Amino acid sequence: MAVGVPAVEASGLVKRFGGLIAVDHVDLRVDVGEVYGILGPNGAGKTTFLRMLFGLIRPDAGTLRVFGRTWGDAGPSMLDGVAGFIESPRFYPYLSGRRNLNLLAGLDRGGADSRIDEVLDVVDLARRAGDKVGGYSFGMRQRLGVAASLLRDPRLLVLDEPANGLDPAGIRDMRALVKRLAAGGLTVLLSSHNMDEVEEICDNVTIMRTGRVVYHGSIDQLRAQAPDPSHRLMTSDDEQALRLAAGHRAVAVSVHPDGGLALRAQAADADAYIIALGRSNLAVRALHLEIAPLESLFFMLTETDPEAGFGEPAQTQPDTLTGVTS
Amino acid sequence: MTTPATTATAPVPPATACPRPVGRGRVVTAYRWEITKLAAQARTRATLAVCLVAPFVFVVLLDRQDRLPKDTLYGRWVHASGFATPLLVLGFAAQWVFPLLTSLVAGDIFASEDQHGTWKTILTRSHSRTQIFWAKALAAATFAVLLLAVLALSCLAAGVLLVGHQPLESLSGTLLPSGRTAGLVLAAWASTLPPLLGFTALGIMLSVLTRSSPAGIVGPIILGLLMQLYAFLNGADTIRHLLLVTPFDAWHGLLAAHPYYGPLRDGTLVSVGYILICLAIAYTALRRRDITGG
Repeated sequence: MAVGVPAVEASGLVKRFGGLIAVDHVDLRVDVGEVYGILGPNGAGKTTFLRMLFGLIRPDAGTLRVFGRTWGDAGPSMLDGVAGFIESPRFYPYLSGRRNLNLLAGLDRGGADSRIDEVLDVVDLARRAGDKVGGYSFGMRQRLGVAASLLRDPRLLVLDEPANGLDPAGIRDMRALVKRLAAGGLTVLLSSHNMDEVEEICDNVTIMRTGRVVYHGSIDQLRAQAPDPSHRLMTSDDEQALRLAAGHRAVAVSVHPDGGLALRAQAADADAYIIALGRSNLAVRALHLEIAPLESLFFMLTETDPEAGFGEPAQTQPDTLTGVTS
Repeated sequence: MTTPATTATAPVPPATACPRPVGRGRVVTAYRWEITKLAAQARTRATLAVCLVAPFVFVVLLDRQDRLPKDTLYGRWVHASGFATPLLVLGFAAQWVFPLLTSLVAGDIFASEDQHGTWKTILTRSHSRTQIFWAKALAAATFAVLLLAVLALSCLAAGVLLVGHQPLESLSGTLLPSGRTAGLVLAAWASTLPPLLGFTALGIMLSVLTRSSPAGIVGPIILGLLMQLYAFLNGADTIRHLLLVTPFDAWHGLLAAHPYYGPLRDGTLVSVGYILICLAIAYTALRRRDITGG
């Protein structure tokens, strides 16, 4: 294979279901060694894109190459070196975790059988490997899904909402596992609707909304365009606090619909305002971070009408943050 | 849209150390995988165990009874010759046992993937639907052949070991020597393979179309019984010859004093027709269906 061939390269990809355009002219490139996130709310087209990547459905237009191969050229061989799962991984519940991996190794061949113990260790399932999968928790099945993917000794790992349905501890473990795998040089393509997850794990991200790409670039670039964080502020006298905010141009304070005040400002400006409140004998009873900066930007990108533009970030970075992609 | 130049492309590492199979090799790989999966299922093992043991139990129970099943072909001979046992069981099994036994695997082999939601697990591992279809169809056929062989040999062994290898009367009333009878008994059982595979294909088709294991298993039995009922009611001959249960009786020609093979030939053609039509429908349905939900 040629040097420099991207792991995934989509160009003008379109998928329609009847009158619904699930994926609308998506361009995307995931380079080898990259940890790439596809982010979007439910129905954004992330899973449809991954289904096309795995050859489960065919695109109506455009091309999708995996390590330079298309389904048309290579058939199922396109997936050699690729592993992962779409939605939640599924197994035969009447068999143990190890037996399921044994079976899948038989399907993979290429020495996959010899890696079973190793991958069970990686996902920390070795002790429960003899138990029937029917008795596994959701998180254990997710981890077994990762183990089943690693059996293929992949160069590209594709994970669709890997933390979906997990409890906080499960989410922490899953993120740690993905980061560990990525640190080992594996190319990871991760779909998620959780900005925190993508921010924590990925180098680059594509944000989708109703089948279209509304942003793609690095997480750092995205962070630079993020609006101020939004807090909910409770004081001993909200009316006075609101009046006091007029003297602080760097903070935006308004009445919060659920009571108290909504405060939007960079950390240093918010600190100055809070100190000013104290000096004015106003007690701060509560200050909660409601929306993190990137999350705020994510909502702007995915909830605003793309035809109407995306406000400030879109105006400041028109080349990377677009309302309607070509 | 511009591609971000945030990550430099790196050399692609060499492909996996061991080359993976391609084309037909992948069908063979998937076939082995399916066979391993079937072998891991308690139901499959139990079915084969029953086929192995039941004939011996059947012969012992018959031996303790004074009244013989005289209304059944070779029923009156079960105490006189061990060769009558496999032929008695063959006549009985053709009614609903064969459709049931083969449907236990064929009717479930596709639908179970829907039931467990494992289609995506399989199809994201470098195998196409076509490859998986033929692997599963071959595995279901393998099971059908295996259970027929086990049941035939077990019946023959039970009869010969528990009753004896006395000569058997042909359907024309002449006595058949023991050595020749053993071969004829095995040939009679072998002659039921085409319609058995026809029911296997029927089970596969229902398994794909309904995505339901119970429907895939029970469907062929009900269809088989309806065909039996039509044949029993002396329906039109042309239609009766096109029924998939009719070839199960084709072995009668082998046990005549002057053997005739017409029913065997016609039955094989009818069975092949069922196999081709059912597999074509199942294959087309599997290729076209949306698998992404399962």
